[in-house]
Amino acid sequence: MKKNTLGFYFRIYFKILAQDIKSKMSYRADFIISTIGMIFTNIAGFISFWILFRNFPSINGWTYYEMLFLYGFSLVSITPVQCFFDNNWSLRMYVYSGDFIKYCFRPINLFFYYQSEVFDIKGLGQLAFGIGTIVYSWNKIGLPCTPLMILKIVVFLITASLIMIAMQNAAAAACFWIQNSFYILDFAFKFKDYAKYPITIFSPVFRFIFTFIMPVAFIAYYPSLVILRPDEVPLLSWLSPVIGCIFFWLSYKLWMFGAMKYSGTGS
Amino acid sequence: MNLKKYLTLTRAGIIESLQFRLSAVVMVIGNILYLIIVYFLWKAIYASSGTDVVNGMTFTDTLIYLVLATALYGFLEMYFVWEIGRNIQSGKIVLDLLKPMEYRRYLFWSYSGTFVTHFFFTFLPTFIIVAVFTHGAIHMGINLLFFIISVVLAVSINYSIDFIVGTICLFTESIWGINMMKQVIVLLLSGATIPLAFFPDKLREIVYCLPFQSIYNAPLSLLLDANPQPETLTKVFGMQIFWSLIIWAISKLFWKVSIRQITVNGG
Repeated sequence: MKKNTLGFYFRIYFKILAQDIKSKMSYRADFIISTIGMIFTNIAGFISFWILFRNFPSINGWTYYEMLFLYGFSLVSITPVQCFFDNNWSLRMYVYSGDFIKYCFRPINLFFYYQSEVFDIKGLGQLAFGIGTIVYSWNKIGLPCTPLMILKIVVFLITASLIMIAMQNAAAAACFWIQNSFYILDFAFKFKDYAKYPITIFSPVFRFIFTFIMPVAFIAYYPSLVILRPDEVPLLSWLSPVIGCIFFWLSYKLWMFGAMKYSGTGS
Repeated sequence: MNLKKYLTLTRAGIIESLQFRLSAVVMVIGNILYLIIVYFLWKAIYASSGTDVVNGMTFTDTLIYLVLATALYGFLEMYFVWEIGRNIQSGKIVLDLLKPMEYRRYLFWSYSGTFVTHFFFTFLPTFIIVAVFTHGAIHMGINLLFFIISVVLAVSINYSIDFIVGTICLFTESIWGINMMKQVIVLLLSGATIPLAFFPDKLREIVYCLPFQSIYNAPLSLLLDANPQPETLTKVFGMQIFWSLIIWAISKLFWKVSIRQITVNGG
């Protein structure tokens, strides 16, 4: 079997995935309760959105359904980080206890192997919820449903999700340098809550910060403009796929740099 | 009652929580970011509503309410559920049960030190900053006293709810999902994410019959009310005392019944 091809990695991924799902299924109660917990979170998020905006026809030039579209877009674009990169949350424990060394001896890409070990099925509920929200608001706004539009939204969703993944990777990698990096990871994870608002509500200073320093605006706002306001798409929107890829690559390098520096705990 | 043994636990808690300075800094930055988002979001909402008073609350009222709700959350959320759940999973609970103090009390007092540090390092600074920035929108009078009494009752209700949820972990051995559900329900239905005044009438009536609004909404509305009527006071405090007694009794009873079933894996 030839190594380093995409097919090889796919096959490996599904093999590891199957093991993970089997082991999760042995804690069935925990699995079911966690899934319900996740659904609760999504419903509560939706209810607060509804309570907040139902009274107002538009906020800052954004109609209710456009806001809803942004909300759905942010939900879908943070799903990959939930599903595929959930093992980042355990990284600090592995590094701290010394168990991380086991990953360093595998003959495949370290980052790939580490992340593929856990697949979080709970995220799929969120995906369904997000897609439902997008479709509903898409209908209500009356956007055309052409193949080009579908292609656009899929491409922009995928690249937008890279931003969130990149931030989580970078935050998780902090544990290679400092102990108890949980707070940094949790801090970066909260960015998702800020992504669902149009950036135009902020003052110019914070617009700058949320675009260039903490790129939360690229999780939903800039990519959605391509769909919602096709006549006045700013350059940053078209650049967002590129920015997503660059950020992901940088975070990967940082993660690997930390991992290569890792010297074990001696146990 | 011998208070000395409890205060010793408080002291140990204070010393312990002062160890984690980096996490405190990250937490404060995270809170500031959240408050910035809240500020601009509500500013946009009030700007598009066209009136200064929405649902009986001015912009300043809403801001004070939400900022202080966040500050209160910072010191009410003590992650008791995680602690109980972890103690059950690791088996440490056996050692705690053997202590010459009721477990319920032991857990509370060993965390009381964190209450003290959080009060002085997060709540008080936030309160002073808000009071200064809003130029005396917070009335400084008897309402402060009512607020403090109300917060004490809120702590008691919140702790009892956490203890009930923690006890459920004895049966499910699932922490994440249970804790998630609790957090989502409490934050939404207590008014911590959106002031209860903004809820639709029907929903608000239901929420007022539940214990959760006594945790955040009750103390905050007492604080914002410069001239509280005796009827309001009796109603709010009556509700809080009623719920704190009921939930205290339930949590005590539930623990007593459940503790017979405990299975500990090692320890």
